[in-house]
Amino acid sequence: MFKRKNKRKPAATYREVFTKGDWATKLSFVVMGASQLKHKQWAKGLAFLLIEVGFFVWLIHTGISELSLFTSLGPIKAKKVVFDNAQGIYITKLPSNSVVILLFGVLALIILAALIGLYIFNLRSTRNLYVADRDHETIETNKQELKSLFDTRLHATLMTIPIILIVAFTVLPTMYMISMAFTNYNREHAIAFSWTGFQAFGQVLSGDLAGTFFPVLGWTLLWAVMATATTFFFGVLLAMLIESKGIRFKGFWRTLFIIVYAVPQFVSLLLMAQFLDLQGPLNNLLLSWGWIDHAINFIGASANPWVARATVIVVNMWIGIPVSMLVSTAIIQNLPQDQIEAARMDGAGPLQVFRHITFPQILFVMAPSLIQQFIGNINNFNVIYLLTGGYPMNNNYNGAGDTDLLVTWLYNLTFGQLQRYNASAVLGILIFIISAVFSLLAYRRTNAFKEG
Amino acid sequence: MKSYHERQRVSLISRYVLLIFLALVWLFPIVWIVLASFSYNDTGFISTIWPEQFTIQNYVGILTNSQFPFLYWIRNTLVVSLVSMVLSTFVTISVAYSLSRLRFKFRKPFLQIALVLGMFPGFMSMIALYYILKSFNMLNLAGLTMVYIGGAGLGFYIAKGFFDTIPIAIDEAAVMDGATKWQSFIHVGLPLSRPMIVYTALTTFMAPWVDFIFSGIILSSSGNPKDYTIAYGLYNMLHSAKGASTTYFAQFIAGCVIIAIPITIIFVIMQKFYVNGITQGADKG
Amino acid sequence: MKLWKKVIMGSASLVAITLLAACGSGSSSSDSSTKSSTATKISGDVTLWVDTAQVPSYKKLVASFEKKYPDVNVKLTQSPNGSSNAKTDVGKDPAKAADVFQVPNDQLGQMAEAGYINPLSPDAEKEVKADNIDMAATAMTWKDKMYGYPWAQQANILYYNKSKLSADDVKSWDSLTAKGVIGLDFTVPYNVYPVFLTAGTKLYGDDGETLDGSTVASDEGVAAMKWFAQQKANKGVMQTSNALNQLKAGKVGAIIDGPWDATNIKNLLGDNFAVTTLPTLTINGEQKQMQAFIGVMAFAVNSHTATKNQKAAQTLAAWVTNKAGQTELYKSQGQIPVNKEALDASDVKADPVAVAVDKQSAVSTLMPKMPQMATVWNDAAALTNGAYTGSIKAADYMTQLQKFQDAISKK
Repeated sequence: MFKRKNKRKPAATYREVFTKGDWATKLSFVVMGASQLKHKQWAKGLAFLLIEVGFFVWLIHTGISELSLFTSLGPIKAKKVVFDNAQGIYITKLPSNSVVILLFGVLALIILAALIGLYIFNLRSTRNLYVADRDHETIETNKQELKSLFDTRLHATLMTIPIILIVAFTVLPTMYMISMAFTNYNREHAIAFSWTGFQAFGQVLSGDLAGTFFPVLGWTLLWAVMATATTFFFGVLLAMLIESKGIRFKGFWRTLFIIVYAVPQFVSLLLMAQFLDLQGPLNNLLLSWGWIDHAINFIGASANPWVARATVIVVNMWIGIPVSMLVSTAIIQNLPQDQIEAARMDGAGPLQVFRHITFPQILFVMAPSLIQQFIGNINNFNVIYLLTGGYPMNNNYNGAGDTDLLVTWLYNLTFGQLQRYNASAVLGILIFIISAVFSLLAYRRTNAFKEG
Repeated sequence: MKSYHERQRVSLISRYVLLIFLALVWLFPIVWIVLASFSYNDTGFISTIWPEQFTIQNYVGILTNSQFPFLYWIRNTLVVSLVSMVLSTFVTISVAYSLSRLRFKFRKPFLQIALVLGMFPGFMSMIALYYILKSFNMLNLAGLTMVYIGGAGLGFYIAKGFFDTIPIAIDEAAVMDGATKWQSFIHVGLPLSRPMIVYTALTTFMAPWVDFIFSGIILSSSGNPKDYTIAYGLYNMLHSAKGASTTYFAQFIAGCVIIAIPITIIFVIMQKFYVNGITQGADKG
Repeated sequence: MKLWKKVIMGSASLVAITLLAACGSGSSSSDSSTKSSTATKISGDVTLWVDTAQVPSYKKLVASFEKKYPDVNVKLTQSPNGSSNAKTDVGKDPAKAADVFQVPNDQLGQMAEAGYINPLSPDAEKEVKADNIDMAATAMTWKDKMYGYPWAQQANILYYNKSKLSADDVKSWDSLTAKGVIGLDFTVPYNVYPVFLTAGTKLYGDDGETLDGSTVASDEGVAAMKWFAQQKANKGVMQTSNALNQLKAGKVGAIIDGPWDATNIKNLLGDNFAVTTLPTLTINGEQKQMQAFIGVMAFAVNSHTATKNQKAAQTLAAWVTNKAGQTELYKSQGQIPVNKEALDASDVKADPVAVAVDKQSAVSTLMPKMPQMATVWNDAAALTNGAYTGSIKAADYMTQLQKFQDAISKK
């Protein structure tokens, strides 16, 4: 790496490269790879050339039409039912399929952006060659170039496939989702839809969904704080209990607790919902012991909202404490003992040691992962979806219940009765903004945002 | 006044009592689930702690059910999770190693972009993923495997944290000896990160066993239950038709218990690596 | 392998025999089947989605179909999430959905509006009208065109435990809940919304297709809300999401459920099994026969199906819903037919469940096909549940009903 840096000459401007370069250099501005081929960097040159050829084949073949369709999301907006006399049946002339048009439009934009990036890379490489020629430097041979892929440019080798995968399976879908928020893709426009700007944002923030959005947002944040704090705090306590002096078979105890986390959630939570039902085993047990007079409606459709919310947090503790216990165990084992010893010598009780030394230290080490947990809890789909399904019902909400988080509401809007795809895309963007703001604030405060 | 030892003993006993009590509370629902899988049930709901009638018919039923081919599901999931395990681990470790040990211009932007991408909820992307796979005619187990592998490039945080803890001097020594970076990756980096590789492999192996949402979106349109994975197959048992949740409920629990056993065992093995990964990543923070 | 083949062949010939019998006896049906047999040129590839449990039954029907139309190749699979989710399953990607699939009639309007399904040809329409009861034909019609081939009817009925309640007890809600306990889920609009209809309100007008024809925000609507509120204090009413379990345990003596659970309930109650129409309710001091939503199951043809396969798809949909098809589904799955002749068969006439559904249908309301039904299902649950639990105060009934009515009447 240092070698390459030293070799770099004061850059020539592209104007200079173009006016003073030889024919191959000039050609490189139009035909990628020309200069590299002339300098016998076969692999690089051919790769550039083939990619450019491939790009233009794609552009002419489908690219142009994809991009032009993207602007309108398809020309035919309404279906037409016609009678087919030959067969004696009705045929539907279908509208444009905007979902596919949108997807391939976004893909075309990504391809375009990738090619522009590659073109700049090509220019830069051409300039390097030009500068090397001008100053009579040695030029890397084809073989050296390839070899460097396993040495100074190892990162390129290792990262190429992952980046392609990330672009295909994360970037493209995310950009697709973002663009969906600016359309009227919903039940009434299920096949063909159009661009409508910020209309869907209006529906969520001030329209018919606003009365649901803000209360659900409030509960989502409260939930995320409570869920993160309770599992963390009690996880630390449990870890300290197991790690405390005199307890034997520590590994065994840890395993007992971790079993709960290991059982797949769609099993444990689905059955937990039955366990807590109005007529479920827990109520029956409490009734038969005489601890309660009436069955408690923990999470049913007509439960008290705050009872249900508290229940959800408690059940989440059941699942979450074992994990946080495991994590804090490792930290406790690695805590510097000298401070604790010193405090003990000064006569501090175990409670004081915990409050002033152990807990702050654990908190310090855990801070970054706590922020991640907080973000994870904002998007904690499983616990709500499988346990309560959003219940109890709330007749002031639209498509959500009292325990619904933004993310489960988003799911309902997409896959439930309402089919408001654009509104749920807006929710997705808003969830992102909220997560980003919170993690930025938190990272700043914990000063852990050094490298991302 | 009691002696120091006596107080110690009281404290230890009370701590044991507390621990046993907590363990009982935690395990109680799990035991109940296992009991439920052995109870005769034809109403789709369990209202008792102790089964009224024990039976192993639920297990016989799930293993021989012709509409819900459980054994095919296990086979499919095993194939998907093994392929995904090998390739995802490769992807994750490559990315984590590059980001931690190599220095290149795109490194910092990549870390930031990855952080941003991770904050978008995944549901909306499912519609896009569906059509991407469809355009490659891959709405099948292979496509599902691709989705799992596709997510691996962003799951590098814990592994990167682990690599960050390995002193850079080890790499430098290797380079001094004339090793290329590739050689130091293969001969120094990978052997050192064995616990991390095991951890990553086990996590990616488990994912297909518990994911019922992505698998549902991608596999459901084939209409052939022999092509399902275990999580979607089981989930589908209860949701395939009106009245199905009653008819197949008991078999559903039995099936769940069967797959929960291996996952639990893997998880118990994995906890050691899990803790190492997290704390070493967090230490660096 | 051999055995398997034998079974298929055997069942195919069995169906063929029933068909022959049907042709011999029927007048109008023989007419129609000769007509379809003249069109021998039908060919193509067709995929068919049915509920998981019904796959074996349809295998037989498809076999007979392929025998009759050897040039048509049918691929039969289970639908992803069941016929009640047809709207979302097909909507996810209509091009990938089956050419012919099952759908309940309340989803037909929305699917037709979205362009997911094709109307029936005038000839097919005539056949459906001639062969099936009028109610079924109405259920398939949306904006003057028919969009599905009906094959079964569903309506909630009352199942009860003979050892706990007598046939007289269950005639009215009041005596039922005085003598025993009924289990009901007030959060499932399919079960409880019909109380509004019972009270005399309209949902989308008399025809179920008038957007501003709902009259739920009215005195009758308030009376229904009051009825819900009264049930909270009624000792004979249990709010439960697992009525079957309560019925088995003997904690409730009666439940309201659809015909799809009949087999399960028969197994639970054994000799104590009894079934009848829904009881009468006292609303505003008057005894009124409790209504249910009538659902008619249909087979619809995907509009994304290639034109060359359209005719084959329509023919298949007609075939699996003809008299023989409906009879087969009744015999193997207990699906209550809508075909006039199939309904007249002696075993249907003797089946208490079928009789109860048929009787209940006569006094009930057909589920509207409006695309806005999605909003009804979505919003009604909170409304009925709110009235039942008391979270909606009596003073707010009218405002809440008005809010609901406005929401469901939006274009």
